Amino acid sequence: MDKASYNSFAIAQFQFDRTADWLNLDLPTRELLRVPLKEHQFLIPLRLDDGKVKIFRGFRVVHNDARGPAKGGVRFHPQETIDTIRALAMWMTWKCALMDIPLGGSSGGIACDPHDLTLREQEQLCRGWVRQLGGGLGPRVDVPAPDIMTSAQHMLWMLDEYETMRGEKSPGFITGKPVGLGGSLGRMEATGYGLIFALREALKELGIQPGGTTASVQGFGNVGQHAVRLFQQIGGKVTCVSCWDQKEATSYAYQKDSGIDTQALAGITDRFGGIDKEKALKMGYEVLPGEAWLAQDVDILIPAAVENQITDENVKTIRPRVKIIAEGANGPTTLEADRTIAQRGILVIPDILANGGGVTCSYFEQVQSNMNYYWEKDEVLGKLDLKMTSAFSAVLELAKKKKLSLRDAAFSIAVARVVQACRDRGWV
Amino acid sequence: MPDKQSLAQFDRHFLTAKDKLTAIGRGSLGGKAHGLALMRDALERKLAPSFRPAINITIPTLTVITTEFFDLFMKQNDLYGLALSGLRDDLIAGAFQKAELPAQLVGDLRALVLQVHSPLAVRSSSLLEDAMFEPFASVYATKMIPNNQADADIRFRKLMEAIKFVYASTFFKEAKNYILATKNKTADEKMAVIIQEVVGLRHGQRFYPHLSGVARSFNFYPLGHAKPVDGVIDLALGLGKTIVDDGIAWSYSPAYPQANPPYNTLEDLLDQTQNEFWAINMGSPPEFDPIKETEYMAKFRLAEAEEDGVLRFMASTYRSQDDKIVYGISEKGPRVVDFAPILKFDLIPFNKLLKELLKLCQDMLEKMVEVEFAVTLDGDQGISARFGFLQVRPMVVSEEKVDLSLAELAGENVLLGSESALGNGILHSIQDIVFVKPDRFNVHHSEEIASQLERVNHRLVTAGRAYLLIGFGRWGTSDPQAGIPVNFGQISGAKVIVESALPETSSMLSQGSHFFHNITSFRVFYFSVGQGDKYKIDWDWLHRQDVVQETEFIREARLRSPLKIKVDGRTSRGVIIHD
Repeated sequence: MDKASYNSFAIAQFQFDRTADWLNLDLPTRELLRVPLKEHQFLIPLRLDDGKVKIFRGFRVVHNDARGPAKGGVRFHPQETIDTIRALAMWMTWKCALMDIPLGGSSGGIACDPHDLTLREQEQLCRGWVRQLGGGLGPRVDVPAPDIMTSAQHMLWMLDEYETMRGEKSPGFITGKPVGLGGSLGRMEATGYGLIFALREALKELGIQPGGTTASVQGFGNVGQHAVRLFQQIGGKVTCVSCWDQKEATSYAYQKDSGIDTQALAGITDRFGGIDKEKALKMGYEVLPGEAWLAQDVDILIPAAVENQITDENVKTIRPRVKIIAEGANGPTTLEADRTIAQRGILVIPDILANGGGVTCSYFEQVQSNMNYYWEKDEVLGKLDLKMTSAFSAVLELAKKKKLSLRDAAFSIAVARVVQACRDRGWV
Repeated sequence: MPDKQSLAQFDRHFLTAKDKLTAIGRGSLGGKAHGLALMRDALERKLAPSFRPAINITIPTLTVITTEFFDLFMKQNDLYGLALSGLRDDLIAGAFQKAELPAQLVGDLRALVLQVHSPLAVRSSSLLEDAMFEPFASVYATKMIPNNQADADIRFRKLMEAIKFVYASTFFKEAKNYILATKNKTADEKMAVIIQEVVGLRHGQRFYPHLSGVARSFNFYPLGHAKPVDGVIDLALGLGKTIVDDGIAWSYSPAYPQANPPYNTLEDLLDQTQNEFWAINMGSPPEFDPIKETEYMAKFRLAEAEEDGVLRFMASTYRSQDDKIVYGISEKGPRVVDFAPILKFDLIPFNKLLKELLKLCQDMLEKMVEVEFAVTLDGDQGISARFGFLQVRPMVVSEEKVDLSLAELAGENVLLGSESALGNGILHSIQDIVFVKPDRFNVHHSEEIASQLERVNHRLVTAGRAYLLIGFGRWGTSDPQAGIPVNFGQISGAKVIVESALPETSSMLSQGSHFFHNITSFRVFYFSVGQGDKYKIDWDWLHRQDVVQETEFIREARLRSPLKIKVDGRTSRGVIIHD
């Protein structure tokens, strides 16, 4: 599948079908879970700062909420499609179930490029998105969170609009808020750290000490940076990171055999994870084409950028030394590439497990917000570690017992839990 | 020196794990944990089998957070500047509480508290202690937590607080002064933390071992027929804090377990023996104070131990009508914690165990040793026991031969002589004398005196000048009425300490008991000059010496030529001679 024809939802459905076969699900259950429960598509008219009016397309999809209120990100992306949102919502359902948190799955967004919008325009878009969805959102209904190109600031605008509409404070409406305004300590680190907690368990399973292992990471945004930081702390070395260069509209990989200096590199990185190429060159990094991150002679690959990055075309460039791929991004590996990787005996920690730390901490934030009582960071990260470790153990146990890949085992556990909730509610 | 030991990695099972001694991380275990790791196999192979089933000897389950996490904690929270700045202890402890533990550590700790609902001891295990293979007794904090709250979040939080408190104690003033006295730098110190199951039983709101003890293989105060190499045992009811910090214990020689410690009258014996004990407070939460070492500890009266049914294994009774001590507690009357049922009636082969244990530890460490332990007695008859081996550390014992005749004590130019001096050897280097002014001393000012001494000590230690310290009453007592309530860190630069009897009182001198570990490890000479002693301090000479500095209560004199200080450890005689 090439990048142009890549359809996330088709992949998500394929994954579900395979799992449904394996679980031997009946037809009504398949029909219920193969497509979203609810979909909203709407238009948001926005008066730009220059006085012109522009119409934006907004989305919100709830895939399933049998296990609890739906939870999912809000993306700002120029190429946003309903199919991507559907796939993300479905993956979120499975992810919440796999992490065993009492939430369903949703996703949403606006087809826009925030780089081209002023802050006021972005604020109006956020408020418009909340107004359009109205009662379809809420702490007991569907809880948004940041995703690609949305931040804590966007979440606060959305929260403010919601609270204005409701006439009451409701910090549990949304997650990803800044600390001090209803946010949770540890939220920034959660996805990246969660990924490393899962990676640590995978290394234990393979009998490899983290000290001395090397990794290459795609993406140097929030997830990538925190994953790199914790990986280094447990003794690993990251020799390459790649990221999108907004100015040149291409990606680059920054390589250093002695290991990257995370703090220094973060200092020359913009808020979207883009590293300043010129400064990196001066700091002694070798600058390579973006795809070079995949072809590094390392033990671990961490795709932590966007979907559809390891494909049938580039999977051959993965070096024989690679033992683990930990999917920090959602859907970074195509089905074809996944098959090749499995044949080569590389252990893949699938996205719904590897990046489950993000939604787990979002759940923690929501719990804290609903109580209006906030935990210390140690407490948040301690709970996160246990959730990640216990999810990894459950997946590994099933994979070993039934001779499945970790991805298939993870999907089986997640889908089975959602099916059980639907059955318990009498839906199927 | 014994080899470095390693422990299995903690696998998120604490009480149910195959390995009872584990480590989190791959850094250093620190001195305390290293000692336990060293003794683990020897205890199991060479000692434990011969005492089963009467006594079950174990090292209580523990996991060690190795020093790599201390490094990370300090670095990630950027704490070194603050920690080394000379800030007050409580401000340092407060700042450490606000800092975050490393992310890769907290999951293991959370897993631990989810499984354990009984008290935990969070103990320091320092790197310098390990590197020097020398004891740093009571220098760093130990925190006991009840860990019995129903909510795992609270248990987790309390464990975090305790670990941060132990980390912070690395930089407390007493510890800094102590390190300075060892010629090391606080910045080089690293702390491992031991999280250990507490040996004890719950009695209502209290959790404590039936007895705690410290056993030493060398005795600086051999009495009667006992020899120094017979060693000495200190026992107390409840947690060991009574012995280590309060200095109250039932002391006996393992060669003569049935002999009582010396006393003038039975009334004296009643006064000197334990009448309170420390336990972990399992009841309603005390005032929140995470930077207080005894936050969850409390002192209870003997009557409460009797209500708990514990005292019958530990005590005798004073019968006033015929001024006698009768064994056991079947009669009414004041109780004497003398451990008679165990020591005099051999309820369990306890003394035999201690003798063999001391020998084993001495063989393993190739040095004289000091061992801490805690014991619970099971069953209504108290006939089987759990012996928790808590700590082993080396003792420093000087072997220099010093001949000191009685004539020398009464000779010319003697500043003071004593027939109860501690230590062994000769010193020629001391020119500084710090003394409490006899005309100004008053027990009502003893706390003020302690803080003035701390400032003098800090200045002299920083200048690298060891000194002779002379004061009144029990050095290091927790009771300001009984002497000067300093901790050893406040007088850490003193190479020779003299305690003189309080004017117009007959209270016993401490004879170094409060600082016993420090005195032995730093080879400090300790002189006691009692009220009725033959040899006195030559105050007139002292008052004529050049004064360097003076405060309301303290005078600091500097001599033109050094004093000659001799102590004969075999006879306990000591003398200080001036030019």
